[in-house]
Amino acid sequence: MRSSSFISHFWHYFLSFVLIAFTTAIFFALRDALDTTLVALLYLIPLGMITAFWGFGPGITSALVTFLTFNYFFIEPYYTFTVHRATDVVILVVFLVVAVVISQLVGRALAGLAAATAREREATQLYELSTALAGLHNDHAIAEILARQVQEVSQGETVELNITGAETFAFRLPESATPHRPPEWVIPMQVARGALGEIRLWRAAPALTSSEKRLLQTFASQGALALERARLAQAESRARVLEESDRLKSAILSSVSHELRTPLSTIKAAASSLRSNEVSWDSPVRPELIAAIDDEADHLNMLVGNLLDMSRIESGALKPKREWNILPEIVGSVLARMKHLAGEHRLEVDVPESLPLVPVDYVQMEQVFTNLVSNSVKYAPEKTVIRVRAFVEGELIHVLVSNQGPQVPQEHLDRIFDKFYRITAADRVTGTGLGLSICKGIIEAHGGRIWAENLHDGLAFNFTLPLIWEGTPPPQLPMDTETE
Amino acid sequence: MNNAPHILVIDDELQIQRAIRTILTEKGFRVTTASRGEEGLTLAATNEPDIVILDLGLPDMDGVEVCIRLREWTQCPIIILSVRDSERDKVAALDKGADDYLTKPFGIEELLARVRVALRHSAGKQGTQSKVIKAGPLTIDLAWHIVKRGDQEIKLTATEYKLLAYLAANHGRVLTHQSILTHVWDPADANHTEYLRVYMRQLRKKLEIDPERPQYILTEPGIGYRFIADE
Repeated sequence: MRSSSFISHFWHYFLSFVLIAFTTAIFFALRDALDTTLVALLYLIPLGMITAFWGFGPGITSALVTFLTFNYFFIEPYYTFTVHRATDVVILVVFLVVAVVISQLVGRALAGLAAATAREREATQLYELSTALAGLHNDHAIAEILARQVQEVSQGETVELNITGAETFAFRLPESATPHRPPEWVIPMQVARGALGEIRLWRAAPALTSSEKRLLQTFASQGALALERARLAQAESRARVLEESDRLKSAILSSVSHELRTPLSTIKAAASSLRSNEVSWDSPVRPELIAAIDDEADHLNMLVGNLLDMSRIESGALKPKREWNILPEIVGSVLARMKHLAGEHRLEVDVPESLPLVPVDYVQMEQVFTNLVSNSVKYAPEKTVIRVRAFVEGELIHVLVSNQGPQVPQEHLDRIFDKFYRITAADRVTGTGLGLSICKGIIEAHGGRIWAENLHDGLAFNFTLPLIWEGTPPPQLPMDTETE
Repeated sequence: MNNAPHILVIDDELQIQRAIRTILTEKGFRVTTASRGEEGLTLAATNEPDIVILDLGLPDMDGVEVCIRLREWTQCPIIILSVRDSERDKVAALDKGADDYLTKPFGIEELLARVRVALRHSAGKQGTQSKVIKAGPLTIDLAWHIVKRGDQEIKLTATEYKLLAYLAANHGRVLTHQSILTHVWDPADANHTEYLRVYMRQLRKKLEIDPERPQYILTEPGIGYRFIADE
């Protein structure tokens, strides 16, 4: 870069001299026909051209050289630098002054133009940088773009960005570079709250010009602003998440304290009446009250269990302990346990023994079936059928729990798996409103999908689970058939 | 001093301590209580209780750790108490030597049933174990390898019999998947719960009246199985 600029300077001077020599030769040939003042005027033409084309330096040098050649070749006595006539002295002086003034004026105009062009280029680069940085919310992306722009502008050997903050890292361009000396230039990236990092530039020569320095500093502060903006945006979204979870927690608290109070009231009433002398020892009410305490304590335990499950799902702590299980066994044990709860509902099961083993957490799967069936029991009218069906669908197992209860408006079908979502008035049906969202949490933790659909005569919960677990299909066991 | 069995309760919740103490004393047991793990270990060493009831969530040390330290010198039955949803802890404690578990909140019949089973098994370790187990209409003769319903002999495969014999010999006690797999199959198969699931289903079909609602071989979800015999 440096040598090329030197050559171009040399070349400009050389061309200037050639041009002067050429015009001098022409004037010299026509010397007898031309008047001395005319020659002086004509000399101004190449001088103006030289300054316009090649700048102030060659211009002023050419003006001095021309002054000498003019004196030497065209003012009598020829071939000397002496001047005899007073008019010639005036001509020479006027020529010199005019030549110098012209080259200065033209040169200044050119320099002004160059500065304007440079400023425009800077403005364009800055604009490009800020456009590229706009909307970026990631420190790494910001660092990369900034490093590329700095590299393009500075033409340095290596550019490195050290970003400090929650995550401190360095981004280097070219990425394979490993400079063995400290950087020549270090530009801090600062915002009002302090330094967010620095730009390190390896460029041995030429030294940064003041406009380059200014530009890089502007780049650094643009980068710092972008980083700060990104961090503020992150902080804001964190705050929003917190706010959301806070809102959820207060919803949980209000719903839960209501739900917990119902069994508690029963227990309190039953226990206090047993304790007082209101109920005699042989009263038939006595065993009823005791049974109520026992049942309601179980109910309370179930509610607390649901809450615990939900909080585990929320915090991602619900990790299924997957094993190859027999689906009919799980369904069978759940339905057997729920038979007394199902009351007047008819339970129909179509979960064939021939189904392959399923890779699920036994306890969690029991919970899914319990919640789906008990939801059906709650909402479907008595004496209707609740049906559990399972079949293989490619590499999935598809399970359907359907009931003949009320349909759910199409737009609410997805939302019934949301926490605390209820279609009917909250006081008609008891429960925390968490059952279905727990199912969703468990099924999704198993890599499956759960959804609800309206049937012509009711509602169906569907879920699918992958049969392939860690790349292995369900095992076929070698059974011994020989008896003892 | 009387000869009533001595039970050590290690639980940091005073309400639970009080409830267990009241009921067990009422049933004629001698009861000592401790609220911390270290205190419990000291009391166990000085009093040599017949049964230890141990809560897994102690303030000063892990309940599983207490189990391990107790098992270094005593074979007395350990019944662990824990809250729901801590199957992993329960299984860990059972595999480290605990005999049985109860999930809080528990009914008092369950507690008494566990205590009875624990006492019977600790007596059994001293050589009075019965060789014929009866469960409803079922008779399992461990000496002659014969399983009958009423007078009818039930044909079992070798593995099925091994499985049933192990469960029946430990009737009343919970057996973890791992302990069954290591005992009936091979220590190398300890993770193949699918073997257990499949054979258990077969076995239930042969033994139970309604395999969906087993009366004799109960599933302890996430933990293992328990065989219920006549007392």
